[in-house]
Parts: sequence; C-alpha cells; structure tokens
Amino acid sequence: MKKYAVHDIPRRDFLKMSVKGGLVMAATPALLTNLISCSPGTISASTGLDLDQSVLKKVIAKALEKGGDFADVYLENRVSRQIVMEESKFKSGLYGISQGAGVRVISGNKTGYAYTDEISEEKLLRAAEVASYVANNGSSFTPVDLNMADRKSFITVEQPLSDIADTRRIEMMQRADEAAMSYDERIKMAMVNYYDEIRGRVIANSEGVYLRDENPLMFFIVQTMSDDGKARHMSRERLSKHSGFEMFEEFTPEMVAKRAAREAIDMLDAEAAPAGIMDVIMMNGWGGVLVHEAVGHPLEADNIAKGVGAFTGKLGQKVASDVFTMVDDGSIKNARGTINFDDEGTQAKRNVLIENGVLNGYMTDVLSAKQLDMERTGNGRRESFRYIPIPRMTNTFIEQGESEPADILASTKKGIYVQSLSGGSVNPVTGVFNFTCREAYLVENGKKTKPIKGATLIGSCLDVISNVDAVGNDLEFGPGICGKGQAAEVDAGQPTVRIRGINVGGSKA
Amino acid sequence: MDYTKLTSNLVDKALEYGASHAEVYLETGRNLSIQVLNGEIETIQEAASAGIGFRVIVDGKMGFSHCNDLSDKSLEDTLLRAVEFARLTSADENNVLPSDKGFTEIEGLFDPEIAKIAMEKKIEMALKVEELALSDSRISKSSGAGYGEGQGEIFIANSNGLSKNYKSAGCNIGVSVVAEKGEQKNTGGEYSSRRFFADLDSLEDIAKEAAEKAASLIDPIMISTQKAAVIVDSSAAGSLIGGILGALNGERVQQGASFLKDSMDKSFASKLLTIVDDGTRPKGMGSAPFDGEGVPTQKRVLVEKGVVKSFIYNTIAAKRAGVTSTGNASRGGFTSLPGIGIHNLYVEAGQHNPEEIIAATQRGLLVTGITGYGIDPVSGNFSGGASGFWIENGKKKHPVKGLTIAGTADEILNDIDMMGDDVDMNKSFTAPTMRIREMMIGGA
Repeated sequence: MKKYAVHDIPRRDFLKMSVKGGLVMAATPALLTNLISCSPGTISASTGLDLDQSVLKKVIAKALEKGGDFADVYLENRVSRQIVMEESKFKSGLYGISQGAGVRVISGNKTGYAYTDEISEEKLLRAAEVASYVANNGSSFTPVDLNMADRKSFITVEQPLSDIADTRRIEMMQRADEAAMSYDERIKMAMVNYYDEIRGRVIANSEGVYLRDENPLMFFIVQTMSDDGKARHMSRERLSKHSGFEMFEEFTPEMVAKRAAREAIDMLDAEAAPAGIMDVIMMNGWGGVLVHEAVGHPLEADNIAKGVGAFTGKLGQKVASDVFTMVDDGSIKNARGTINFDDEGTQAKRNVLIENGVLNGYMTDVLSAKQLDMERTGNGRRESFRYIPIPRMTNTFIEQGESEPADILASTKKGIYVQSLSGGSVNPVTGVFNFTCREAYLVENGKKTKPIKGATLIGSCLDVISNVDAVGNDLEFGPGICGKGQAAEVDAGQPTVRIRGINVGGSKA
Repeated sequence: MDYTKLTSNLVDKALEYGASHAEVYLETGRNLSIQVLNGEIETIQEAASAGIGFRVIVDGKMGFSHCNDLSDKSLEDTLLRAVEFARLTSADENNVLPSDKGFTEIEGLFDPEIAKIAMEKKIEMALKVEELALSDSRISKSSGAGYGEGQGEIFIANSNGLSKNYKSAGCNIGVSVVAEKGEQKNTGGEYSSRRFFADLDSLEDIAKEAAEKAASLIDPIMISTQKAAVIVDSSAAGSLIGGILGALNGERVQQGASFLKDSMDKSFASKLLTIVDDGTRPKGMGSAPFDGEGVPTQKRVLVEKGVVKSFIYNTIAAKRAGVTSTGNASRGGFTSLPGIGIHNLYVEAGQHNPEEIIAATQRGLLVTGITGYGIDPVSGNFSGGASGFWIENGKKKHPVKGLTIAGTADEILNDIDMMGDDVDMNKSFTAPTMRIREMMIGGA
C-alpha cells in the first residue's frame, strides 16, 4: 500500500535506501511505506558542475537517439554539515560531499532513468544510453541549443554559510542547550541538531533550457526530555530556512529551546485523551501538516494522471467548505519549502489549489502536466540526483481567514485543541490519513483546560475539508520533511482552524 | 580496484593526519527498479554507485565525513575534513572502535543469479503480477506493480586492525490495486522480498493477497466507541510493538529516554511475549556477518516471557553501559555514523492458530492495519488508527475502518492473553497474531 508521510524531524534510517548492500527494499515505490529523511548530504565547492554545455547537448541527443519525447540531464553537488549535541556534549560532527548526475528520458507514459556518481562525458553518455531503454517510438530528435533560462529567485543570503566558522555553529547549539537545561529542573536532557547544506544544481533539457543555481539550507532542531519521576515527555521545536546564517537573528537559539522546554514541562501533567469523534481546533503553524497530508498529497498530479487519486475528476467541483482555501507556493521568501525553480527547471509560483471550497488545480511536474494536458506548476522535485523528479509540495498552507483565534476557541463547547503534531501519513488513493498529536489539550466550554497524551487523529481528506467551519486570521508556518519514496524539505502552514468531527484515538471513554 | 587495500591504506592515512583512531567504511552497490502501470512500463531506473565514510577519533573527540567521489584527491580532502570536524566535538572516554576480528558465517546472503536474469523477464513478471491482481473481479484499478533488485559489497577497516567485507543481494516484487464500489475506494498491496530470486513468492499468491486486502474492507460499518478485545493480526502486529525497539536501544536507556529504562530483568509484559533479534539467520533480509562497525552479529533474546533480558548496543553505547557490544550497530549507508538497530527481529510464535484466536473471542476487533508510530519509546503511550473486522461470537461479522485504538505499553503488553503461531520468518521485523484482552476503541 502506498503511503506518504511527513515528519518534523530527520529519521536516521532514511538513507538505508542509498546503496546499502544494494538492498533496494524500497525500490518499488508502489509498495514503499514511509521512507523519510533529511539526509546529511550536501556540498559545495566546485567540481563537477562546470561541465561544458556542448557535453550536455551531446548527452541529451544520445538520450533521445532511439526516440522519446523529452530528456533532461541533472547535475548536483551538495556539501553538508551536521553537528549533534546530546546530554550537553557535542557527540559528533558530520561533513558530507555528494555529487552526481542523472539522465532521464520520457517516451509517452514511460520514464527511463540512470544516474552516475561521476560527472564525466563518458559516464553521462552511458547513463543516457541506459535511460533510453524505454524509448522506442523512433521519432527523431533535432538537437536544440541550450540557453540560460530566466528565473526569479526568492532566496536571499546575507551571511553565507561558507563564511561562518564552525565555532559559530557550535555556539548556537551551546546557547540552545543552556537555555533548555536551565528552563526547569525537570528537563533532564536536551538534544540539539544543527544541519546546513549548500546544494548546487545544473539542469539542461531537450527543450533548450539550461539553468544553474546554488542555494543554502539550514535546519536547527531542539528536543528536550522532561521527567518528574511519574511521566516523561520528549518535545521538539524546529527552525529551518533557505537562507544564510542570519536565520538566527530573527529566531534565536534560546527562543527555539524555550519553546521546546515549555512543551516538555507542560505535557508532564497530561492525562489520557478521550476517544471518539469530536471537534478539533488546530493551532496556527505546523498544524498545516494535516492538510499537507490529507489534501496536499492527493492533489499531486501523478496519482491523478494514473486515474487513481482521491481527487480524480473533481476539478471545478465543490470539495470543501466555503471558508477553505489552500495554496502551494514555492516562492515565499527564504522559506524552507521555497525552490526558485523546481528540479526540472520550471519557475516556482503561487498555486491556488482549492479556492473557497472549489478545486482549482493540481500540482504537476513535466510528465503529469503532459499526461493531463495541464500547465507545469513548478512542483517537479527530487531528493537528489539518485531520484527522478515527481510532483511534490513546497510551502503548502490553508489561506488566511477572517475569524479571531480567540473566538474560535470560545465558540467550541467540547473537543480538543491541538497545539503541535508529530507528523502523519496519508493513503493518496483513498485519502485516508492519520496524525499523532504531540501537544494537545481538552477544550471544555470554550476554554483550553487539561493537557492530554499523544492521541491519533484519523479521517478522510474529503470529510475533513468539508468540515472546516472556522479559519483564523493568524497564518503561520512550520518546517518539515516530507517522504514520498524520496525526501523533500517543505513548510506546512495554517491559521487557527476548527474541524468539526474528527476521530480521536484516546484511551479514556 | 582493491577496496580491502584501499580502506586499510586510508586508515593509515587518517592516523598520519592526526587521528588517534580511525575507521573507513566503503560500500559499492548496483540497483534496478522497474515500475509498471496498466500493462505498460512506467519507469525503469538503473544505477551503480559507491561511497565512503570516515569516522575518526582525535583525542577522544569524534568526527565523521563522507563522499562519493573515490578519486585520491577527494578521499584525502574528505578525510581531512573528518579530522578537522572532530576537533569541534566533546571528548568522551567511551569513543572507541571495536577490535573483534570475528566473522559470523551466514549462508545465503548473495545470489549471483539475480544479475544474470534478463531485464525482459523481470519486466514480464511485474506486468504479470499486475495482470493477475486485476483479474480479480472485485478489483477496478491498478496503482502499480514493480520489481526491484540490488546488490552491494561493504568493506570496513579500522585502526584496531579490523578489516572485513561481505557481499549481499536482494530482490523484491509487488503490486498495489484498488477496489471501488460507488464512492468507496480501498487499496491493497502485497510484496515479496528475498535474498534469492528463486525464493520470491509466486506471482499468483502475491496478486491474490493484494486483491484480497483491497476488496475485503469494502462496505465497512462504523462501531461505537467502547472497550473490547483487540486481535492484532500478523501483518499489523509489527506496527504495534515497533516502539519496544526504541525502548530497548541501550543508548536511550542510558539517557533515561526509554520506558524500559528500569526494567532489566523485570517483567514488563505478558509471559506470552518473547522477542528475539537474530542477525545470523540464513537468507535473512536483515542478516549480516558483522554489524555496521564490524562487530560479529549474533542471535540474542531481548525479552523472555515478558522479562527484559538484554538491551541492544553498538560499541560506544556498550562501553558507556559497561557491557560488550551486542553487534547491533546499524548504519544507514556510508553517509551516516553507526546508530543502534535490529537485524531480524521476531516475536516468538505461540500456541494458537489465528482462527482459534478469533473463534475464542466473543466480541472484539480484528485489526489488519494500524497507522501511526506505534508505542512511543520514551513515554510508552500508544495511539493509532485501525482497520479490520468486527468480531462477534467468534466470527468475523463485518469490515471496520476509521477506528482508533489506544493504551499504554504497560496495559497493552501485560494484557496480551493469546499468541498466534503464524510468524512469517521471511520478514526482518515480524510478529504473530496476538490478542489483547481489552483496549479502548474509538469510533462513532
């Protein structure tokens, strides 16, 4: 069964797919459950990407030698740093360089793909030959000249990562650790994870597009564990931007740490959650991951093109309540999900997917846009050169509404208030999703009362968006890692919203 | 290239560069993936690659670096980075590398035949398994079928004189289909994953199982919120008990971040629960002659009749706990440091066949699918989504979907009152059908 999942933290096992004993347990995405990650992967410096355009042209011609409709070459170079702090000690430092190139051929509905770790003319031509296996329509390709395409950028850098001494990175972590540990004596441990990368890419395709860019990504995670002898809670707070080191000026390590510590302490008193169908208020911010899963994945055009997606054939129809508008926007300044142009070279932009309850569009890549005869929306993304691009989200959110968040709470008699979710998954065909709450409270007579233990929320996408009856005016975002056979960095966002009638998995009657 | 020699030379070089101890981990691999949809090829992907990871300890401080460019210059640059990066971290007396030169002999990790079978045959199999699943009249659509294979070799060398390597391979085939009725949709998928090509399950069996899973949950009836017996079948049991693994992680236990931190030699679960991790099973998908840092693998009882008998450790966590490594260093490939993980973990089979368990249940829920994260390894709380069948008077009455089940590890694991005999030992993480006397079920 296909399942897509999103998590708010890297899972170390995600890389098992790479070349681990060659065990492609996950090689059949159709069966893949959740393979999530945030790879340390990436790089920098130079090499590789300076391959001459005439070589790329030759590779594209080779790829389409046997026929085919489209071919592209993707070169990537990534330098990454990861520093892990646990129990107030710097446990390890990881430095990674990864580079390689992939060649893809599309022929009708078929895709052929091959990649190489070595960026050389010989290896690329060999990859082109392997990728062309699927092409046999014999149509002849007239080579086109490659021209640098014009794309807007939404990522600014004031303090380049390359200028930052590692001691500054360490300092941010130390500050977070101290702030967390001094918050309350019941905080027994903090885990601070610092990650940054610089990813350079070159894209060239048979339509004559040539693009190259280099973008930084930063990810800072603080987890704290509280223990009062009776209960334990592991909390988590994240910060991530496509930006330089200036990220820490707007959000200091202390702010991140204190938020994490507050959750860990507040949740020590959590009681068993109630079970059954009830009203749910989701606080603004990362809660948007619920619609990322429940609605976003089913709106990715690959399953629509296959004719199996939950929203197949519903374009132009009313699918949600009037107050519900949902957007995917890869052009939000410096956001974690921002991409400038996607990994196929399409300009990122704001795409309104559902407008006042009416289904307005899907998120496409080159292949699904062609299959559905729709525009390319700039959602063709790939984890690295080891993967083909597929339709993926960027920054996905419920659009700002008009209600005051306080009024939404005050007008809810009974239910639960979800302040933070761990993550969840969806079956994009049936639209059935599940989520795990990390921090939630009972709502009694319009007030947030007792904290409750991590309950599961389940439901189906079409029900949940029809049952959204109040949308706040306080849109916020949170960073995450989305897994769909390959990982992608995303933001999910929403204002405070109320959903009538979700099944909550508590252990109390 | 002679990788055994290369890894040993690089260990020497690391010492020259200032490392007090060093480890070099190199992997090479090749993989192939074929996806088909509606009788046509959808994607074919093929690649070969290699990469290397350097772990160095400089005056008790640990650094790590990796690259996938094996040219001399790249290797030297990357190695230097590890040494530089190590200086940033905190010294820890537990930062040591293993020295056990042993090697557990395991049969059946590498099948040379896989690579020899023609691509056309593999495409044909993927097409066939899809066709068979679609031939079930209850199935309306395919959401794809696929074949995948990979093979690789791992080389580890370290400055304690350890130098080892082994080769492994694997292949898998599966299909996912959709059953529809009116507005209802349900998916079902099944796959088979084996070390040897000849051991893959028959395409007929895979297709039949996928179709059955998709079709069987059509026309569910909602039940009310209540407490009742919950039977978790063998395909779902792993999702329930998964969190126990995190709680048995020796490092998390040391950090106090485990609900089992004080449970060594104590009973925390029903006597029916025995959990074993076996890294040595012939042809096991999780078997290996040595773990992610070169320590020989073993077969180890972690939980015996509800009592914790062993936590799992890598070398560093073991040193801190004052024990020896259990050969459970896991590695997510050359790009990561060794963590702690399992090989082939199973819950030991009990006395009853699944039909007997159902027949012995007056009223309850048979769970065939669980969503969510399983038992939380830190707090021991559990809450998940559930689907399956409602049972009355020892018989399946109707399908159910969209339910939740919840409880704490303490309640759930002590309440296991029947254990099935149906463990699928071909899987690397597996458990039989089990019954929990009573759990909270969330419904209408």
